[in-house]
Amino acid sequence: MRRLPQGVVAALLVLPSGGYLALFFGLPLLLAFLGSFGLYARGGDGGFTLRHYADLFGTQAYRDGLVFSTYLAIVPTLVSLAISLPLAMGLAQTFPGRKLFNALYKVPLVVPGIVAAFIVMTLFDRGGLAARLLTPIGIDLPKIVRDDWAVGVIIATAWKAVPFMTLIIGGSLGAIQKDIILAARTLGATPLTAFWRIQIPLALPGITAAFLLTFIGGMGAFAVPNLLGPVYPLPLSVHMYVNAFERNNWGLVAAMGTMLSLISVLVLLAYYRTTRSLRTAYGGEVR
Amino acid sequence: MSQITLTGIAKAYGTSVAIAPMDLTVADGEFLTLLGPSGCGKTTLMRMIAGITLPDQGAIRINGRDMAALPPEKRNVGLVFQSYALFPHMTVAANVGFGLKMRGIARDAAAERVRAALALVDLEPLAARYPRELSGGQQQRVALARAIVIEPDVLLLDEPLSNLDAKLREHLREDLRNLQQRLRVTAIYVTHDQAEAMALADRIIVMDKGRIVEEGAPVDLYRAPQTRFAAEFLGQTNVVAVTAAGLLPWNTGVAGPADGMVSIRPEDIAVTPALDGAGRVLSLTFLGPAVEYRIDIGGTVLRARDSGTGTAILPQGTQVDLTLRVPPHPLQGVA
Amino acid sequence: MTARSGLHPSDGRWITVGLGASLLIALGLPLIVALLWSFMDPATGWFAPDILPPSYALDHWEWAARNGDIAQALLLSVGIGLAVTALTALLALPTAYALAKLPFAMKRAVELFILAPLIVPGIIVAVGIGTIFFRLDLAFSIPGVILVQTVGTLPFMIRVLAATIEAIPNDLINAARSLGAGPAAVARHILIPLAWPGFVAGGLLTFISSFEEFEKTFIIGSPFVQTLPVILWGYLGGRVMVFPTAAVVTFILLVPMLIVFFLAERVLRDDVMAAGMGKL
Repeated sequence: MRRLPQGVVAALLVLPSGGYLALFFGLPLLLAFLGSFGLYARGGDGGFTLRHYADLFGTQAYRDGLVFSTYLAIVPTLVSLAISLPLAMGLAQTFPGRKLFNALYKVPLVVPGIVAAFIVMTLFDRGGLAARLLTPIGIDLPKIVRDDWAVGVIIATAWKAVPFMTLIIGGSLGAIQKDIILAARTLGATPLTAFWRIQIPLALPGITAAFLLTFIGGMGAFAVPNLLGPVYPLPLSVHMYVNAFERNNWGLVAAMGTMLSLISVLVLLAYYRTTRSLRTAYGGEVR
Repeated sequence: MSQITLTGIAKAYGTSVAIAPMDLTVADGEFLTLLGPSGCGKTTLMRMIAGITLPDQGAIRINGRDMAALPPEKRNVGLVFQSYALFPHMTVAANVGFGLKMRGIARDAAAERVRAALALVDLEPLAARYPRELSGGQQQRVALARAIVIEPDVLLLDEPLSNLDAKLREHLREDLRNLQQRLRVTAIYVTHDQAEAMALADRIIVMDKGRIVEEGAPVDLYRAPQTRFAAEFLGQTNVVAVTAAGLLPWNTGVAGPADGMVSIRPEDIAVTPALDGAGRVLSLTFLGPAVEYRIDIGGTVLRARDSGTGTAILPQGTQVDLTLRVPPHPLQGVA
Repeated sequence: MTARSGLHPSDGRWITVGLGASLLIALGLPLIVALLWSFMDPATGWFAPDILPPSYALDHWEWAARNGDIAQALLLSVGIGLAVTALTALLALPTAYALAKLPFAMKRAVELFILAPLIVPGIIVAVGIGTIFFRLDLAFSIPGVILVQTVGTLPFMIRVLAATIEAIPNDLINAARSLGAGPAAVARHILIPLAWPGFVAGGLLTFISSFEEFEKTFIIGSPFVQTLPVILWGYLGGRVMVFPTAAVVTFILLVPMLIVFFLAERVLRDDVMAAGMGKL
């Protein structure tokens, strides 16, 4: 029997999904990138232009939108991280009902963003349940839904992101050999010191990966900020939608998409810089 | 000066007993080995001294100081793990220096002590490497340096050589013994390898099912074991009833009860071919420095080891005479 | 006992109490409030400062049961979910095997490319594909929605399957081959049975992510393809917010997904799930 070289076999096996993603993911992104410079654009004359970027950076609302998108990426991610780290540590302990809690905390993973937004509305909108519960005891809840600081968006996004981050960080913490932590303890480290000096550095690849993916999710989010966010500024994702489907301004949409992707790529590069040093230290592949 | 005293220590996991109540004292500078099959409680015992596992009852004292309220980081105990447990994100020097850093020792003084500890284990040139860049033997020595640099009251070693190949194991065994004697540190060494235990220990504690079966200096334990378990666990032996032993033409009588058992080490049986010999070679195994025979004598099968150089190897079926080089050793409490 | 060393949390009950309270506030309370909204009586309403609705009724559930749009949306969501799951599984298996077991040049690059749809915000993917679909006449169509959703689910499936297949010892495959099994027999008798948990869990979670997907579906399909999340969006993002109706749709959306999720949760190990979700 004739045997194909392994490289050829691998290429044939990768082809279906690789080709699919090239066609329906790579190509559209490439076209959007080119379109942002006026090349091969729908409804454009096909000549190279920086007009769309000039439009993007020359309009106050879009500049603010870019800043606001970044804000919606960073703040919920930091909030989720602050909750996920202790949660992951807690879930790793032994306690009654551990299995149940380990399944329950993941529920928001499968709750759609719109439902999360709806839940925040029922609880925190004016006249929501939180206000009804707190007003009688003299606490006047500030505006949380459609407020200037997008607290509602942050709550809904973080609510969805916490289980995701906890799952990934918990996996990284769990992969650390127990003996390594015990070794630190016998050498004089308190539980807290062992956590900061041993567990956190060793779990850093997982922590940064969780951070990165939550960050990107927050930056591209469309539904939640649209439902819970302030009237001004609007995040770039909402501007993209409006310009694409209500104003048919595809060149500008492409420029906005390219800018958002650029920020994602920058964060991704920062991620690789952070984890590369660890990668060399471990030897083992960090994935 | 560090003496360790365990009194009435016991530990159970649910209904299974890990350690039955026991007392144990380790003298200052002593090299004690805990020897036993896996699951005998030896590692549990050691982890209780380190403070990683808590005893259900009893007291652990180091130099008279009760350890009960002290977490591992306050016990000043050096522990070498079977897996080495080196910190993968730190260099060799940082690994060794970790305990000193935790003790708040000034950077310069710590660096000097790290250097000295690495020199002791011959690893000075590798100080800047990461653990994964080292061989197994080198990693083991880093783990050892990391445990001794803190000048622990007691050095605990949990099967530290079991992940290494045989040659390296023997080599490191000698180094370890020399180092311990040079530092005069009290050491407790856990192993299931009887050869390792005999080579290293001042005193061996033989454990089984959470109990101390027998203890003593390696020579005494090997030559004059009191129990069948110890006799069989340390090296090879033939355990036969005294009545069966009567088949052998030894000169002196056997001490002990007439219906008891005796232990006869294979190397204590001399095998000589004799046409009218009472024994017959059932099978033989060539071991290099020795030949091991399985010999049938009046229905009892004995193992005999002949290490005489230059003697002929006796083929299967040869009729042989057996003589004992030392009297058979009586065992207590077994029928 | 408790303060002894921190290595022996002899009292894990405090963790149970703490976690239980947090989960009740963060998870239980919101769902209860949504449930209450769905049973609100339209005759009396539910206004501040009432903590609980003054009376309950089944009006909104009855309305949903009679409403053809919702039944149709549910059916459509399930159908699209099944199609996306089948397409995703079919495309993912060969690639997952190659990534897990075969050495090839530029493997790292292929891995990164497959991960990329998780890294680029969905809205960019959707708007980008939209421009192509307009030319191909796939925009606002069910096949278009299936194709765009698969872009999002494929990376997850490939990674879950690759992680599962990677855990199958090579020696099992070698043993089967030495006993005379060809590649097809190895796949049928060794790989697929052993990778089955990953297959099942990956499939269930793919179904979920298709079922709950909003942004790409909305941009490519709306207003002609009305899945459940798209309908829900209509009740929340419109001029008037209809809480009770939204609450009913929320539960129609949530209950099947929670059931599917807990099924998947039982089969899938946490680390494999984390690998699928883009633990890089």
